[in-house]
Amino acid sequence: MAAQNEEGDPAYSLRQIVKRFPGVVANDHVNFDVRKGEIHALLGENGAGKSTLMQILYGQYGRDSGDILVDGQVCALDSTRDAIRLGIGMIHQEFMLVRRFSVVENVIMGIGDDKRWTVDLKKAADRLRELSLQHGLHVEPDDIVEQLPIGVQQRVEILKLLYRNARLLILDEPTAVLTPQETAGLFVVLRHLASMGHSIVIVTHKLHEIMEISDRVTIMRDGRVVGAVKTALSCKDELARLMVGRDVSLRAEKAPRQPGKPLLQLEGLSALDARGARALNAVALTVHEGEILGVAGVDGNGQSELAGAIMNLASITGGRVLFDGEDVTRLSPAAHHELGLAYVPADRRHVGSLGELPIHRNAILGRHRQFASACGLMEEPKIGQFADALIERFGIRPKRPDYLAGRLSGGNLQKLILGREVMRDPRAIVIEQPTRGLDVGAIEVVWRELIAQRDAGKAILLISAELEEIFNLADRIAVIYEGRIMGIVKTSEATIEQIGLMMAGEAHPANSGAPQ
Amino acid sequence: MDQGFTFSVFLVAWLTAAIRLSGPLLLAALGETFSERSGLLNIGIEGTMLLGAITSYLVTLWTGSPWLGLLAAMLIGLLANTFLAWMYVQVQANQVVVGIIFNILALGVASYTYRLSMEGVTGPQKVAMFEPIPIPGLAAIPIVGPILFTHSILLYLTVALVAVAAFVLYRTRFGLQLRAAGENPRAGSAAGIDIVRMRYAGVLISGIAAAAAGAYLVLVQVGLFRETIVAGQGFIALAIVIFGRWDPWKVAIAAFVFGAADALQLSLQLFQVGLPPQLLLSLPYLLTILAMSGILGKTHQPEALMASYRRE
Amino acid sequence: MKGFSVERRLMPVDTSLSLALITLLSVVAALVIGGVLMMPFGANPFLAYWQLFEAGFATWRGFGFTLVKAAPLIMVGLATICAWRTGFAYLGFEGCLLIGAAAATWTAMQALPGAVLEGVPFFMFLPMVIAVSMLSGAIWSGIVGYFKSRFGGNEVITSLMMNYVAIFLVQYLVSGPLRAKGDLPVSPRLPENTWLPYLFDGSRAHLGIVMALVATLLVWVLLLKSRVGYELIVTGLNPKAARYGGINVGTRQLLASFLAGGLAAMAGTVDILGVHHRLVDGLAEGTGFVGIVVALLGKLNPIGCVIAAILYAGLTVGADAMQRQAGLPASVIFIVQSLIILFVLASDILRYYRISRVGPAKTTPVEVSG
Repeated sequence: MAAQNEEGDPAYSLRQIVKRFPGVVANDHVNFDVRKGEIHALLGENGAGKSTLMQILYGQYGRDSGDILVDGQVCALDSTRDAIRLGIGMIHQEFMLVRRFSVVENVIMGIGDDKRWTVDLKKAADRLRELSLQHGLHVEPDDIVEQLPIGVQQRVEILKLLYRNARLLILDEPTAVLTPQETAGLFVVLRHLASMGHSIVIVTHKLHEIMEISDRVTIMRDGRVVGAVKTALSCKDELARLMVGRDVSLRAEKAPRQPGKPLLQLEGLSALDARGARALNAVALTVHEGEILGVAGVDGNGQSELAGAIMNLASITGGRVLFDGEDVTRLSPAAHHELGLAYVPADRRHVGSLGELPIHRNAILGRHRQFASACGLMEEPKIGQFADALIERFGIRPKRPDYLAGRLSGGNLQKLILGREVMRDPRAIVIEQPTRGLDVGAIEVVWRELIAQRDAGKAILLISAELEEIFNLADRIAVIYEGRIMGIVKTSEATIEQIGLMMAGEAHPANSGAPQ
Repeated sequence: MDQGFTFSVFLVAWLTAAIRLSGPLLLAALGETFSERSGLLNIGIEGTMLLGAITSYLVTLWTGSPWLGLLAAMLIGLLANTFLAWMYVQVQANQVVVGIIFNILALGVASYTYRLSMEGVTGPQKVAMFEPIPIPGLAAIPIVGPILFTHSILLYLTVALVAVAAFVLYRTRFGLQLRAAGENPRAGSAAGIDIVRMRYAGVLISGIAAAAAGAYLVLVQVGLFRETIVAGQGFIALAIVIFGRWDPWKVAIAAFVFGAADALQLSLQLFQVGLPPQLLLSLPYLLTILAMSGILGKTHQPEALMASYRRE
Repeated sequence: MKGFSVERRLMPVDTSLSLALITLLSVVAALVIGGVLMMPFGANPFLAYWQLFEAGFATWRGFGFTLVKAAPLIMVGLATICAWRTGFAYLGFEGCLLIGAAAATWTAMQALPGAVLEGVPFFMFLPMVIAVSMLSGAIWSGIVGYFKSRFGGNEVITSLMMNYVAIFLVQYLVSGPLRAKGDLPVSPRLPENTWLPYLFDGSRAHLGIVMALVATLLVWVLLLKSRVGYELIVTGLNPKAARYGGINVGTRQLLASFLAGGLAAMAGTVDILGVHHRLVDGLAEGTGFVGIVVALLGKLNPIGCVIAAILYAGLTVGADAMQRQAGLPASVIFIVQSLIILFVLASDILRYYRISRVGPAKTTPVEVSG
């Protein structure tokens, strides 16, 4: 299919797009082309500027400069209305659906080209049924969106675009929330749509999906396009190199170490996610002193709930958390801290820190009780000394304790959070997606620190979606899939293929369940 | 006379008064429903009602036509709420604070205008009012007739507006877009809805309706203007919208409940019943509190109510 | 040809110089409009404003009135700061004020001839009345706080509704249980040994302003210098981060609701014991809402709140004096007051824009006010 369109002119083009946000240039003179009937992958790490670029194409962000061309003509595109009129549709990572509306209301809302000012929901529902039959996207028009599973909600989003005759479909991380079966189903639909002449852009950072589905790939890094290639003429390694801009085989030096006694034990731990759906299903794990246990898995398979359940921040429905043999399941998060259990959450900006407060106030989050005098007043000199020490030891820039945490770069913020947790000298650390979105320098600092902590005898539970990170740091690897542990293997005996299979939901043949 | 007769007299008096009192409340609450459905809590309707009252009073005084008075009030409501909408939507100032301050401003403006216009005039000047129009035939039905069919044209129009409001909200493209703006503005915007326009529309509708409600107080109920003519009725309309769960039909029922409690309280005082009338008056509020407390489960307010929205 | 263009900034200007300039411009603009409104009444605006300023701030007697008006505003402002900075969007201060007024009246009535506290010395009465009043207010607002932390109820709406219930409750109390013998629905006049003493001769300023300033100091220390304050502020900034940091969000919000209710109740207490000396219907007159505005004008900072409250109160006092002396309607000053605040709020949007001078060759950005 790609060959067929190879000589075709681009249907949609972006020329020299520039977009600045406070402190960053999200898009730096970006050029991007999509042809008719092709599936085009836009690849890049978190923060590379790919979502921003697509939101500019969809008229959601204004651009500071640059042109948008449709069929070779420069078009005025300053709002989503303009974009929709030009046949552009976008499905965001977070679905843009009104939860209380029915499917059909969601599909027709915002359509303005019709002259009638009343809405005929029945007629719209009929046309929707027709479309869903035609494209194999089954939905019930009268269902209320909030009661539908995620996969179905995504179908609603696709139908929404088809209903308004979109010729270009942009999907932002469409598979992040899908099961492998749902992903396979989505890919069938996308191929079908491309064969009907639609142009499709998927924004992603998953290499294997790109190889599987796309005709061409554009790679972005730090707000710039660093390459545009035909998928068939490329390979994962090349794409990865272009994406991260460093040798993928970033290696962390780690000496073998005999693990000590079991410290953190999870027994049949189950929990619900924020929506009240079951997200964690009878998880059993043991982390020993002086060991890094990696939990690998595709995002959204219960990782956040696992970390939350250990700290008693998620709603636990069953099972136990043992710390040094003691049942701590129902103890408050503060009690967990006091026992020596530290937690570095995935969401640095909104959970791990407070952007509106300065570094020194963030440095004491979670241990502020230690900085209060007997009469309940904060001991400012002590806080200042501690913040200075933290900044010094972890090389946080700028070196100003009164600098607002919200203005720190991702790497410096992570150094602040990890540093804060490490400096309380915990016995165990639960750390979630520690290097997501960080630059290489910051990644090295974080990795080095984690290994140092392990060598110092700390028990570390490392939850990460990055296999590279897992293989480099973990002594053993557990794979989580749909809230279950599919198996646990020693890193020295594991292969990427084997872990990949388990991440896709296949149980490990030898050991599934509790470790030794 | 037997007790049955006394009771039916009481019933007719009570319910007629209930409907009469709930008319302006319903009108203001219907408008506020649109504002809140678009995601904005417009507390400024209290002040808007007062502006509507003074405008309708003066214009009717000068022209002798209550219709012109009503029209002028609605125009002023539109203008004043354009400013409010700008503050809410574009400046994104705290909606509660803007509303409260606007109410103080409106009180100042209304009282200043009244004083300026009435200089040299002695004694209160009554203006032409909308007189009750008994509907031929229907008004003669015993009990029900006098309760339902002996009101002014404004009440009949207000009741008709309930159906219009429900139709607009649920059956028109505009209503769908307005509700989307109040539920999930980002999703609405992604679907091509102009959220800013929808929110402006919501506030302007509430402003026109509130100003008309203020005119209603002057042109149907009092015939005079005084600074205390609104006296918190705008806030009661807010409560009615919430009690009516943001739905025009339920808002109509809620308005009647509030009006009935008020009217019953007046009647009971006449009849010297031992019950403290304040208990009765506070009953609708207590019910609203209970409904919103979360004890009875989550209420479905517009999800983005009071959440600001800014396009990047 | 050279010209100017307006472009949007990425971040708002937030230097203190620009903020001060914007506030000054707002005040001047509102005063000019007020001056124009005075014209039809044949008054000289400059003279009228001078009289206003003199009456509100520059005479001993007038400033005393200003302090009397400022005390309850400060209390409500502090209550707003405690609640809002903890993320508890409470609007029920008007109700708390009334509850505090009723509680103070009830307590003071115990000192009437023949009651248990007859002849109690003021220094013993004061802690008692503060305790009763704050406790009543805390329970009143705590109901809403409990609904929020326990059931996830919407505090904005419930607290607004609670104001009405409080109004009706006071109406009931003055027409029934606390009613004095006589025709008017008011409570008996409270015994003089329960009145807040006047601070100076020739001034109506009473102990209430001192209580408000002490409360300001306490709130400042609590919020910005104590462990609990840290927990409250973290909870308000981001409940998720607070939970992560081992802070119990529910109990902190409940505590904030108690603090807010207690402080707002003190507003009613100082008004009853310092000004009215009896419970009457229609007591609050919007103080519970203006206090919110005062707190916001003070950027939710206790010190800023005190300054804003005194300025606002002074304008109100001056307006009354102006009405009496110059025959100008006080409504002009209400208009000026509200316009100042609306202009300050509206000028926020200006901070997002910069004026650039565009020349044919080069572009020189010129900052607006720093």
